[in-house]
Amino acid sequence: MAQTYPEVGETLHDVTLPNGLRVLIVPKPDYHETYALFAVNYGGIDVRYVPAGETEMVEDPAGIAHFLEHKLFEKADHDAFDLFGATGASSNAFTGANTTAYLFSTSRAVAENLTTLLDFVQDPYFTDKTVAKEKGIIGQEIQMYQDTPGWRLYYGLLGNLYPTHPVAQDVTGTLASIAEITPAALHRAYRTFYQPSNMTLTVVGNVDPQKTLDLIAANQAAKTFAPATPITRGVAPDYDVATILPYRSLSLPVARPKAAVAIKGQRPVKDDQAGTRFQVAVRLLLEMLFGDSGALYQDWYDQGLIDDSFDCDYQAGATYNFLTFAGDTEDPQALSDALVAVIAKGADQVLDPARFARLKQAGLGKYYQGMNALDSMANQLSTQSFTAVNAFELAGVMRDVTLDDLHQAAGQLFDLDAVTVCHVFPEVGA
Amino acid sequence: MRIELTSGVHLNVIPTTKFKTTRIAVHFLAPAQAEQYAARTLLTSVLETACAAYPTQAALAAELETLYGANFGIGVGKEGGLHRVTATLDLVADALAQAPLLAAGFAFLRECLGRPLTQGGQFDAAVFEREQANLIDYLNSLDEDRQTQASLGLQALYFEDPAQQVPSFGTVAGLAALTNAELWHTYQTMLAQDQIEIVVLGDVNPAAVTELAGTLGFAPRNPAQAPVQIDQATAAVRRQTVAVSVNQAKLDLGYHIDVDLYGADYYAGLVAIELFGGSALSLLFTNVREKASKAYYASATLDPFRHFVQVQTGIDPADAAVVTGLIAQQLERVQRGDFTIGLLTTIKDGLLNGRLIAYDAPRFLARQALLHALVPTHQDGYAAFAAGVAAVSKQAVQRVASTMQLQAVYLLSNKEEN
Repeated sequence: MAQTYPEVGETLHDVTLPNGLRVLIVPKPDYHETYALFAVNYGGIDVRYVPAGETEMVEDPAGIAHFLEHKLFEKADHDAFDLFGATGASSNAFTGANTTAYLFSTSRAVAENLTTLLDFVQDPYFTDKTVAKEKGIIGQEIQMYQDTPGWRLYYGLLGNLYPTHPVAQDVTGTLASIAEITPAALHRAYRTFYQPSNMTLTVVGNVDPQKTLDLIAANQAAKTFAPATPITRGVAPDYDVATILPYRSLSLPVARPKAAVAIKGQRPVKDDQAGTRFQVAVRLLLEMLFGDSGALYQDWYDQGLIDDSFDCDYQAGATYNFLTFAGDTEDPQALSDALVAVIAKGADQVLDPARFARLKQAGLGKYYQGMNALDSMANQLSTQSFTAVNAFELAGVMRDVTLDDLHQAAGQLFDLDAVTVCHVFPEVGA
Repeated sequence: MRIELTSGVHLNVIPTTKFKTTRIAVHFLAPAQAEQYAARTLLTSVLETACAAYPTQAALAAELETLYGANFGIGVGKEGGLHRVTATLDLVADALAQAPLLAAGFAFLRECLGRPLTQGGQFDAAVFEREQANLIDYLNSLDEDRQTQASLGLQALYFEDPAQQVPSFGTVAGLAALTNAELWHTYQTMLAQDQIEIVVLGDVNPAAVTELAGTLGFAPRNPAQAPVQIDQATAAVRRQTVAVSVNQAKLDLGYHIDVDLYGADYYAGLVAIELFGGSALSLLFTNVREKASKAYYASATLDPFRHFVQVQTGIDPADAAVVTGLIAQQLERVQRGDFTIGLLTTIKDGLLNGRLIAYDAPRFLARQALLHALVPTHQDGYAAFAAGVAAVSKQAVQRVASTMQLQAVYLLSNKEEN
């Protein structure tokens, strides 16, 4: 159960409790902080599923996972925020496309806060009144994002790639979709996804691993849970290039135009060892081709085609994966054309072995640097807990990746038929 | 420990084995003068793009990769009446990398800061022109973040001295007017005359670091002095409404507060503002956001260098008047003492918890060393902070909050409402 990783200098305690809850503990005795993250394998895209104990597929309004996250804090006579706060701890939560996570950070009363974390997440309370009020708060959040041009560009781009898949929808949903959320829908989603066997509790910090584990185990043993049921998710995989909208142009209050290009993945990326290696290879490929130590970046920067805002990214989930490229530029057409020209070469990319070795070393260095902060370490551990490779094993995966993996990744993803382009132009009169 | 390397140049070393990294920060400090901000900011872009040894951005980035993906950046900021240019290099610890990265890091900084890419006694013309253009574009794009736009708008409205009105990175007009010769002059002046504070944190030997820091080659100087602390006399409330294309309006308020930097009421000021709007348990957050549902965010921050408290909210454009009233009510509650001792204790516990956790971050620890060097009354240990917060009474919170005077109201709203 306890495994030491000398390369990163950490020990990971990895235990699955009888009710299916997976517990990950990393002791950090030098630190004042303890950071705990209680995560569910349920996120913004999980809007189609068969409810636990039922047989028919249901469809939820977009934004329900995020709404549920907000609402779990509120109880009949108190708010869980206040319980954490009463000890001086800070707490928060976030919802991603595939996961929802609740967290606290504290330097004191770790046991009390762990109990609060487990108890508030495992004790839902939703009423018509509290649900109605939350719509006001989340409505404000949605409006705030609408005012952010970069956000509008990103979701415009994803909307082109995935006209029907929920990954193109921000986790907050829309004003119209959250209006449809009811306490019954929240309860139904809750009992389906918030099963202990679909969750991970990660604790990193100044703790005694055994005592912490005992506390968590006792807390769980004292509660009654419905028997674990397999989760049937209904969101269909989308690897179809035929549905892609090739182009979108937006007029927004920006000082300078923006260009973005995305590529839709046409094959599933699994959460196993091979899938993890593929994802690491793709990220290294992006760095090799578009990173700031490369000839292409220098050339584009010198030409004024890109500036420091240029960025690229790869996202992969169970039913989708995609690459994005975006930046501010005077000439969005020229930038998207330049990106498309690189993509058009497919697997036929010039990749220098010496630079590859250097980038791997730099990647490892960044990985170590990320392990300084407990929140970053816990988040990595938690995210990886829903895959076959834990966060401390990623260094090994990075070492093993070869140039051949990168060529293969380019061949698999770089396909002109899978490309979409989005441009943002300044509003006239803005 | 603080060591004088030469007149006006100090090294602050914080040996610790806690982290997987070593941090080097080189701070250049000069009296804040608005007309210098643009040049000092452009200087950071030019210096971090290329130098004689790494004459292209690609070559410089490649060197950072060779240093195990070291993080390098040069930025600007203000410490009250001082303007600061800081070069920061975060390296993987030598023991973890099994390589002498600290020495290599200092060699890298020596090149970037001391041997720029030049042409005819000035900065390379192509680099100068491109970075100038890029920085102008970047400053123009800042308004895409409406929260930032409103915060900068409030400060421009609140302060009278251009050194405080203008953000630390200067203005587009200031940047556009800069010549290569002027930038070169700014660079020479900064290198020769600024107060320099070098901070090194990590698993390091102070004697070895002292020797390495010496290789940066800074000459002795007598830096110009300026007060770190700013205090502007109170005046009538200034109001400004700016109409733009937004769904959510931003209402920001600026207050003057009688709290001296690390002075007698410093801890009372911290607690009062934390209670007013500094945390999720504060009156602003719980009453304006949670109970009244009138804001997506509502917070208050204390700038102890400038006797300045800023309230920031994101609201429905139609609610500006209502929210202004709600904010005033929350401040009155702090002033009247209309809060429980239990809440006060909780707020203090939250401050202490946050402070203790901050000691787990290299960035925070390194900043403490800088503050300690700049402000003689600064206490950088947790114990002093904890004792200071513990001693804050309800009466002290009320007293300090009662010194707050509204000075500026800035509303960024949509076109239809105005």
